[in-house]
Amino acid sequence: MKTVRMGAGSGYWGDLLEPAIDLAKRGELDYLGFDFLAELTMSLLQRAKRRDPGKGYIPDVVPWMQALLPITHGNGTKMVLNGGGTNCEAAAEQVLRVARDADLTRLRVAAVTGDDLTSRIDEFRQAGVTLANMETGERSIDEIADRIVSAHAYIGSEGIVEALGGGAEVVIGGRLADSSVYVGPLMHEFGWSFEDADWDLLGAAITVAHVIECAGICCGGMSSQWKNVHEPWNMGFPIADFRQDGTAEISKLPDTGGLINQWTIKEHLLYETHNPTDYRMPDGIADLTTTRLEETGPDRVRLSDMSGRERPEMLKVQIGYTDGWIGEARVLLPWPDTMAKADRCEEIIRKRLDIVGVTPRELRFDRVGVDALAGPLARRPRRDPEEIELRVTARVASREEAAAVNREVTHVSTIGPVGTAFGPPVKPREVIALWPTLVPRDMVPTNVLFEEI
Amino acid sequence: MMTTLNELAYTRSGDKGDISNIGIMAFGPAEYEALRTWVTPERLRSFFAGVVLGPIEVYELPRIQSLQVVLHDALGGGATQTLRFDETGKSMAALMSRMEIPTALLTNGVTG
Repeated sequence: MKTVRMGAGSGYWGDLLEPAIDLAKRGELDYLGFDFLAELTMSLLQRAKRRDPGKGYIPDVVPWMQALLPITHGNGTKMVLNGGGTNCEAAAEQVLRVARDADLTRLRVAAVTGDDLTSRIDEFRQAGVTLANMETGERSIDEIADRIVSAHAYIGSEGIVEALGGGAEVVIGGRLADSSVYVGPLMHEFGWSFEDADWDLLGAAITVAHVIECAGICCGGMSSQWKNVHEPWNMGFPIADFRQDGTAEISKLPDTGGLINQWTIKEHLLYETHNPTDYRMPDGIADLTTTRLEETGPDRVRLSDMSGRERPEMLKVQIGYTDGWIGEARVLLPWPDTMAKADRCEEIIRKRLDIVGVTPRELRFDRVGVDALAGPLARRPRRDPEEIELRVTARVASREEAAAVNREVTHVSTIGPVGTAFGPPVKPREVIALWPTLVPRDMVPTNVLFEEI
Repeated sequence: MMTTLNELAYTRSGDKGDISNIGIMAFGPAEYEALRTWVTPERLRSFFAGVVLGPIEVYELPRIQSLQVVLHDALGGGATQTLRFDETGKSMAALMSRMEIPTALLTNGVTG
């Protein structure tokens, strides 16, 4: 039975590089996939592109391709990545430049575009698409319309299938759904189409893609199993052997760190998936509740009985818009009287902000070591801690106000309790808030652009 | 007698926007039954009072003896605008693991 072997080379922008190199060299892979994008990333990249039209892709793409392309070009592993960010064409050019610099020949790269809706908001509005916020239910996008930085649809596998069908060795897209980086190659290899789809097989593909798309995070990274995870510093990234019958085995290379067992796969099946019978992706809807897991060997788990339903008619779109600034500063308070010192510092900062006329729309005081993570659920310590970091954050309207918050926190080290330690200042940061919404998929056609040397 | 969820299951949390989700993976069938009975949206509402401001859903995955908890308006606006140090709510799972659960639910469990 035909099996397609895929490795996960990256789960986020900034992930480890060595496991991807190891997979490319020793994995005997058909495909190496890369997810580089988080919810905020597209907005950051859009801004980078505005400052420099040649930018806007994930900068890591260049060093990653420098390290990987000479290996994969030699052994036939194809790579699919969403590192194009907001500028796939430029990213594809960079990939070709890397290939030329490495004296590689006969290499075809495809850029998949169509996800960028930033300049199309009015068009959707005029077509009667409400663009209501699917998380908050707010309907009127007009309130944020003049502050929109970016709008990107999570697009599915169509472009990847076309690119692979056209002989691309590297497929680079923008806001390709994380799962599509793996579903696309499976559709291409098994000859699946959306017109005549077996939605259970697509559900299986989405489920398996979900398990491996965060790379090391299904292999003992970020894991409840952390005490038993072998050499996390040599983390091995996951491999999925996906069989034509819709079953798969997850494993990793021998002599790598990490851990794969029923728990690491369960925790990833549940990771950020919400309603498990309705895991919606552009390529289909997976029902995660039918999946059966079986440990079939050391660091090896088999997934079977996966299922799914027809893909949704609407695509998710993430709109980023500017929404004020955050000012942040911190001081470190030593024993004795640590709790009382923190209370006094908070009082001083609140009074000072009043005096200088800064009224944050939200102001937060964390006593790091006491309640920064647990908030109202924190148990008040019975004895004064050795030290407390008082972390102050404020949501304000402008960069100037954010800087003022920073300044007033610094003042407590000179007007507040003895021993108050201050470190290097934290820079004010602009907030890009997110507005998730839906658009009809037929209004988001994808394009594939081939380039080769 | 009460025990803590930490004694019955592993937990891990993630985020999407202002929604935090917590996967709860029971150690075995008895633990799963106890958790399924006890971890309800109503109990979670009072447990996460002051932290979670929106609706709460609990989903069952019996084949992997796990629960999926979905908490809306839980992360101070979401990773890109929250004032929380833990912008993505990775530590929400640790809070969940402190929940107290009656041990009687385990001893009376149907499949223990």
